[in-house]
Amino acid sequence: MEIKKFSRYIWGFGAALFVIATLSFSFNSARNAKGSFALLLESHFLSAISIYLLFFLVLLVVRYSALILYSFMDHIEGLYKKDIPSATPARDDSSLPMISLVVPAYNEGLVIQAAIRSLLLLDYPNYEIIVIDDGSTDDTYEKALEVVREPHSIPIRVITKSNSGKAEALNTGMTAARGEFVLNMDGDSKLSSNTLRACIPHFDNPKIGAVAGNVKVVNRENIWTNIQALEYVEGLAMARKAQSFMRIVNIIPGPLGMFRKSVLQQVGGYDHDTFAEDCDLTLKLLMSGWQIAYEPTAVAWVETPSRLLDLLKQRYRWTRGILQATSKHSASLWQPRKAGVNCFILWYMLFEGIMWPFSTLLGNIFFAYVAVQYGLSTLLFYWWLQLTMLDVIAAAYCVVIEEEAPSLILYAVLFRLFYINIIDVAKVFATIEEWRGHTMTWGKLDREGKL
Amino acid sequence: MDLISILATVILATTIGTLIVGVGAYAAFKLRDSRKPKAKINDDTSSSSVTKDPIFLKRYIPNIVQKQPSE
Repeated sequence: MEIKKFSRYIWGFGAALFVIATLSFSFNSARNAKGSFALLLESHFLSAISIYLLFFLVLLVVRYSALILYSFMDHIEGLYKKDIPSATPARDDSSLPMISLVVPAYNEGLVIQAAIRSLLLLDYPNYEIIVIDDGSTDDTYEKALEVVREPHSIPIRVITKSNSGKAEALNTGMTAARGEFVLNMDGDSKLSSNTLRACIPHFDNPKIGAVAGNVKVVNRENIWTNIQALEYVEGLAMARKAQSFMRIVNIIPGPLGMFRKSVLQQVGGYDHDTFAEDCDLTLKLLMSGWQIAYEPTAVAWVETPSRLLDLLKQRYRWTRGILQATSKHSASLWQPRKAGVNCFILWYMLFEGIMWPFSTLLGNIFFAYVAVQYGLSTLLFYWWLQLTMLDVIAAAYCVVIEEEAPSLILYAVLFRLFYINIIDVAKVFATIEEWRGHTMTWGKLDREGKL
Repeated sequence: MDLISILATVILATTIGTLIVGVGAYAAFKLRDSRKPKAKINDDTSSSSVTKDPIFLKRYIPNIVQKQPSE
């Protein structure tokens, strides 16, 4: 265990050295080739785009620096609570509140049994499982019932209803829940055994309305899923950890989110008018004045798309769903005094959802044009290098703090080399389609049963 | 050709290549999505406008025949 931890530090240190050496090398190289940069000031068109991209790069550096700083502070806060027993008073098992686990399932026949069985092994004395079969056309309901018939001590209920979407299934689960707290998850995810014990202490703070869990990729089998593993750690977990320090997590992930049942009822549960019901609900909670915490040790293992087209389908839905949710609460965008920190959250979401993919795509096309037209491919290289260095630094930080596989640092290079270019194209098209009001469907992903 | 120029050429080729792949993959995704069979219009499971109660919530009304007093 210690050797693994030590090797992570070695990898992290190696990545930091690599970044410093590369930046130093490229700085010298750029200084020698400074004449070529003057080309960008030759016309108003080139100058305007160059200045915009420079501004975007500054924003990115600020974003990465702030996230790493705040997530590190959250990490320190977590260590402090762990080391000082008075910070987290010990609880008697009999005093722990009841938690209802709601598992919505639509055509999850391949994975539902493994998912329910994993829930039976959770380390918590007082919980129930509610499986909502959302009108599956496969054998999800029968498979779930088979597990119910097996001998176990945890109460399980399987409710079947006609198909009306995930939001409605979760609302049905909320209605049926007997617990004071409700844990919503996906039918295809698997929770770490400490999940319930780790999340519950956050609710000692009466201002906390919900706790977001840590989502990790289980099927790290090819280049697509390995890069997604990095993306989940670097793009989602690190951001949530930083946001958690300020108790403003902006998306409680669908695979693992725990709520006070009273809060869910207060905000009216999930709405049906977006394709990112988890993001929409989170914004509703934040707008109602509730704080949201993040628990990094509560892990939901999920199966991610292992094929490109499935991946694009997922990202298409995420992009449009998040834009729909942001649009619903857009009034707060222009009311910084009234909305307070929520105004900042919405602008941050627009930066990540719209400005980031549009700007990286613009930068790629612009510098590729400059390279082809003026024979200056080095500018494209420096542009790529700056973005890659930010990713490598964030990946190295996550490997050390999140105790992830060191190989993820290498995937940071591949992430910037080709993966994010393809994803950004899909995000830009999805944004344009959302803006133009194209119809869309949920787009259920086909599972391979890797859990 | 120095190292930077070689790397720059590789990045240029990769960037142009991935942009083309990105657009192609998106077109393929939309094509695959449009080719999927559409749900039947009359299929009540596909309509979200119809209010659907979960089965467990349906009120149970026992079918008891009210007995009239014999006299």
